[in-house]
Amino acid sequence: MGLIFGSGSFARYRVEGPLPEDYLEQFPERISRFTFRNIDEASEQERSAGWVNIMDMFDNRLSAMEYLKEPCIALSWRVDVRKVPSKALKRYCREAEEKIKESEGLEFLSRKRRLEIKERVQVELIKRVIPRAQTYDMIWNLPASTVIFGSVSNNLCDEFAEFFMQCFGLHLKPVFPYYAAFEVVRKEGMDPALVDSLRPSLWEVE
Amino acid sequence: MQLLERVGSTEFIGREFLAWLWFKSETGEGSFPLGEAGSVELWYDGRIVLQSDQDDRDEKVICLGDTSRSREARFALAERKAVTEAKIRLSIGDNEWSFILDATWLNFKSFKTPRVVQDDKEDPDGLFYEKFYLIEQALSALDAVFSSFIKLRLSADWEARELPALLQWVGEGK
Repeated sequence: MGLIFGSGSFARYRVEGPLPEDYLEQFPERISRFTFRNIDEASEQERSAGWVNIMDMFDNRLSAMEYLKEPCIALSWRVDVRKVPSKALKRYCREAEEKIKESEGLEFLSRKRRLEIKERVQVELIKRVIPRAQTYDMIWNLPASTVIFGSVSNNLCDEFAEFFMQCFGLHLKPVFPYYAAFEVVRKEGMDPALVDSLRPSLWEVE
Repeated sequence: MQLLERVGSTEFIGREFLAWLWFKSETGEGSFPLGEAGSVELWYDGRIVLQSDQDDRDEKVICLGDTSRSREARFALAERKAVTEAKIRLSIGDNEWSFILDATWLNFKSFKTPRVVQDDKEDPDGLFYEKFYLIEQALSALDAVFSSFIKLRLSADWEARELPALLQWVGEGK
């Protein structure tokens, strides 16, 4: 369940750099280049990620610019992954190795040969795996230059920030306590160096 | 300085913020003005994670249940463990939100807004805007409280008044 339809977890970002003046012309093309594409079942592809409608994870056409919800751009980042279960891979590899040993009259197979078999079995099995789909909501408040992203996993957040940069050409900066403190000081017209001068105080004075 | 290095060297800011919030809510000062928007009330509710601020970084104390009655949580705080995660309830007027706030990244987990009554079939945009407004309202309120903390933390009042009171309250947990 995403942020809109239920409860969820999220990280916050600040978008660095100004919003392009022609974003209404520029973004539809950029978004459509990065919409979600289904994994081709006949391929060896293990993963696919891209934008879908925040209100409907199966809508990746976004034909009516449904993502433009003034003053926001709201999309879901859909990530489909298919992975061969490790035990199944092991079983099919062993069966394939036994067949080869029997047909070639071998007692042992070299490491190189076993790796080749593993790769071949992996390619055969991956086509039979149904992808697991996850969506992560993204709400970009354009005038505030803030983004909330529906995950707190460090790896996923890093990957998302990279994807966002590729799509929109803008960097995301995570809002963590130091950065949030820095923003407070800047808004108040205080010296930003004050934040750098902060030292732990709770346990220093006793 | 690299991002992760910066996050690590300044994580005490988030930890002190969570400890200060706990102190304020337990001493009847958990209400903060929001200007024209009225005021926001925050209190700890049900889950708190404490971790050594010094070397034993793997040692965690996780307390569930009624935080205000949790002697274990207060004892851990008095024993120099820092608050790294806490479940917080936030109320503005009749609306109430709950979430787990993380001290290192200021991330939100299990974020729940007040119930939204819009029908997503009839009016999907209405549902989006109501939810968005509720998320933004809570974030703005929390930002305002964080801002109050930072301004206080950078002022002379911190050393003169707030920190001694906070330390006294922490010490009472033993």
